[in-house]
Amino acid sequence: MKVLVPFKSVPDPNDATVAGAAASMPKSVINPFDEIAIEEALRIRERGEAAEIVGVTIGAVAVDEQIRAALAMGVDRAIRIDDTRALDPYAVARILRALIEKEAPHVVIMGKQAVDDDSNQVGQMLAGLLGWPQATFVSKIEFLDNKTRTRCTRETDAGLEVVAINLPAIITTDLRLNEPRYVSLPGLMKARRKPIEILTCDQLGVTVRPLTTVLSTSRPPKRAAGTRVDSVEGLIAKLRQEAKVL
Amino acid sequence: MSMAETLVLIELDRQQVKRPSLHAITLARQLGGDYALLVLGHGLDEIATSLVSYGASAVIVADDPALAEPLADRYAAVIVKAAQKHGAKTLLGSSSTFSKDVLPRAAALLDAPMVTDVLAIEEMDGSVLYRRPINAGSMLATVKLEGDRRVLTVRATAFEAPAADAAPCPTERFAFDAASLPNGMQFISREQRASDRPDLTEARVVVSGGRPLKDKETFERLVGGLADALGGAVGATRAAVDAGMAPNDYQVGQTGKIVAPELYIALGISGAIQHLAGIKDSRIIVAINKDPDAPIFQMATYGMVGDLHQIVPQLIELIRRA
Amino acid sequence: MLKLFETGEAVHRPKQKLNAMDFAWSDQQQELLDAVGRFASQQLNYNMIENDREGVFNHDAWKKCGDFGIQGLLVPTEYGGLGQDPLTTVAALERLGYACKDNGLLFSINAHMWTAVIPLVYNGTEAQKKKYLSGLCNGTLIGGNAMSEPNSGSDAFALATTAIKKDSSYVLNGSKIFVTNGPIADLLVVFATVDKTRGPDGITAFLVEKDSPGMNVARKLEKMGVRTSPMAEVFFENCEVPEENLLGKEGGGAFLFTRSMTWERGCILASAVGSMQRLLETCIRYANERKQGGQSIGKFQLVATKIVDMKLRVESSRQMLYHYAWLSGHRKAVYLEAAMTKLHISDSWVKCCEDAIQIHGGYGYMTEYEVERELRDAISSKLYSGTSEIQRNIIASMLGL
Repeated sequence: MKVLVPFKSVPDPNDATVAGAAASMPKSVINPFDEIAIEEALRIRERGEAAEIVGVTIGAVAVDEQIRAALAMGVDRAIRIDDTRALDPYAVARILRALIEKEAPHVVIMGKQAVDDDSNQVGQMLAGLLGWPQATFVSKIEFLDNKTRTRCTRETDAGLEVVAINLPAIITTDLRLNEPRYVSLPGLMKARRKPIEILTCDQLGVTVRPLTTVLSTSRPPKRAAGTRVDSVEGLIAKLRQEAKVL
Repeated sequence: MSMAETLVLIELDRQQVKRPSLHAITLARQLGGDYALLVLGHGLDEIATSLVSYGASAVIVADDPALAEPLADRYAAVIVKAAQKHGAKTLLGSSSTFSKDVLPRAAALLDAPMVTDVLAIEEMDGSVLYRRPINAGSMLATVKLEGDRRVLTVRATAFEAPAADAAPCPTERFAFDAASLPNGMQFISREQRASDRPDLTEARVVVSGGRPLKDKETFERLVGGLADALGGAVGATRAAVDAGMAPNDYQVGQTGKIVAPELYIALGISGAIQHLAGIKDSRIIVAINKDPDAPIFQMATYGMVGDLHQIVPQLIELIRRA
Repeated sequence: MLKLFETGEAVHRPKQKLNAMDFAWSDQQQELLDAVGRFASQQLNYNMIENDREGVFNHDAWKKCGDFGIQGLLVPTEYGGLGQDPLTTVAALERLGYACKDNGLLFSINAHMWTAVIPLVYNGTEAQKKKYLSGLCNGTLIGGNAMSEPNSGSDAFALATTAIKKDSSYVLNGSKIFVTNGPIADLLVVFATVDKTRGPDGITAFLVEKDSPGMNVARKLEKMGVRTSPMAEVFFENCEVPEENLLGKEGGGAFLFTRSMTWERGCILASAVGSMQRLLETCIRYANERKQGGQSIGKFQLVATKIVDMKLRVESSRQMLYHYAWLSGHRKAVYLEAAMTKLHISDSWVKCCEDAIQIHGGYGYMTEYEVERELRDAISSKLYSGTSEIQRNIIASMLGL
């Protein structure tokens, strides 16, 4: 079984500098949810259920660092679709669809959302474009019936839900699916010999234009810090009299 | 059959209308033009009737056993058919795991871009601009869309609940061939936890707990106990859910639920940016934490430094007595 | 001729003129160092205060380091290591020391690398290397050495432990003290004399596996610092070691010891440079945040001077370390440089820790703040791998005095 893991390079959400790293800010990392997807693909392979794990990302040469990190984790080969434009989720989905039609994976596992954009759309759009089943916000994945179907547990607003869907399918990962392994030095060494294929949209036969443009960004108004209270009685008094919420 | 520029997807939870999903109607009103409400499921007569006073041109009901469970492939297919039939170019919903599962798929099928978590709109040079949170809500982005079709989800807490005082509109049964619906997905089960507590996203008061609550029993006793004393809902940080103290649907934050209650009480929560993203618009925030330098104190209306294991039982006691 | 590693230049960047200084890391080195930093800061820092108080060795962290590739950094790839050159290795250890606060764990890792792994790489037979090296590299085997005795510390070669040949074994008798990793080691390099009359030329090294009959790892020794690194006395009573476990040749022990000790002196305090860097940053942060008399204490010259001096110590230590490692990588003689590096870094580290406590005032004395522990850990560096006095003697004699 071939597993395809699309991943995105995002600014490090943890903000604090990585130990000892030189100040070449901002630091980029693999989107944490996509890292979880890569980890899941690796575990599926370790269980003997997958033969090949292919990673794909869209971006300029700067994202090669994240590609090498993915390869160092254990991804077998990686594809970078060379496109430096600011894309929107729908454009990303259309580009990935072309790549998927070329690679023909049995399952696509990807993060549910990118922590910089927080749109949570690409996986579902991709499933719609391909006409494939989808399982979103997944916290557990099992393969059934000789890997023709997968049973997934989903984290929803109402609690946990279990669905069984036919393969090929799109699965998007949620936080509690697994804890990704760290990149080891032997992995890093091996990664240097793994192939990175560079493709363009032209080569994939896809021409897309993002339909969403970000005009500006701003900081939301800051909540002012309030007051300290010293006692339980004091707190209740404030909530009653001042805030009038009790 | 009515034509409407906008279709608003109404969400159901255990055969009841999920109230936050109605807030998308407020955006529909702001956008202008006719809007119809769309609801999918099975056995929807009463629900349909309950939706007729929201000023829609119609309540469109897709009622079929095949739609008893919200499977994304079927739901997206029906939504798209309904949108096309009624000439709708705009599809709205309210952010939830349901709408996030279904609407992007529908957007792709409609060849439309989608904006998630709209907080507000504005007009500029005849175009509509959408404001939405990014980077766990630490930044706001103003975006513009191209094309005549769009799919939008609103952050329910950013839009008022719509008034239900319009003259009743007709309900229409949306006919479709259930046999032609996609069949690649199968619903297996859902955990059902009955609760007397209000819904986390609708409650007036939310009491949330973090890792310092130690274990499931202590979490329920203190966080649950305080919530019950106040008639509120219970929330949790990601750390607490990861540690098994609370189920995933209690999680509040960037990748959990966004809440904006009148009163949010954070017990043993340090205030990681991903959690704060989910509570910023609460009217009053109370933080109780042992660490005086916890970031949450910078945005809490009232902060108390101390041991929650001592403070909370006292709080519960005093509230019950009053 | 054993090719232990490629010289730094051949692997990582194009040929440089040897008299040109290039202080930049190559992309590959930077990638490796960043991976070390990320791994260490995320995986190795937990339960510090409690483990230090109870003297608990973090076996889990040890295994993670093995998995990650630390213990095998210098070992040739055909034996399960990463075949890195000395400069990359010490830079990695420096980054490890920066990101990992468990000085005890690092001390155990270092003892393992310099006293067990290096001798095996240089002097092991093919069979011995195949048997032990890959486990020593991947964290499944823990190594150490047993050299010091109750009556021979600085006078290293005055050994009383004897090894008498009997049929196809050697029988060891004697007692060893200050055996780092003793309680947890799977393999110890034990030094004994086959003939006391030959003095240093009688000293021989043996590979002794744990639980060998006649080998008794006695009580764990309680220490002032690096408490998460376990240490014990080890007694040998008619302990039979098969002759295939002879490491090197009879009488070759002193040379083997000196060579591995030179490696040890140069490299063992690489992580201390990282620790000092971390301390420096902690002090700068504290000096800027802590306010007294209406201003941050960093504005007081007496505080600022201490931090400035810390910075100078960190930089000079780092440069000496890198220079030593570069020379080593270019196969230059480094006996002098190793001693100077060890002496300078240990002196610097202790002074930095003292200053860090002073800067933090009362808080610096509190266990919770994790500053006092750094000093307790650092003081050991003036004692192991040859005391500071011994290093001075070495340097003096190398200067022709």
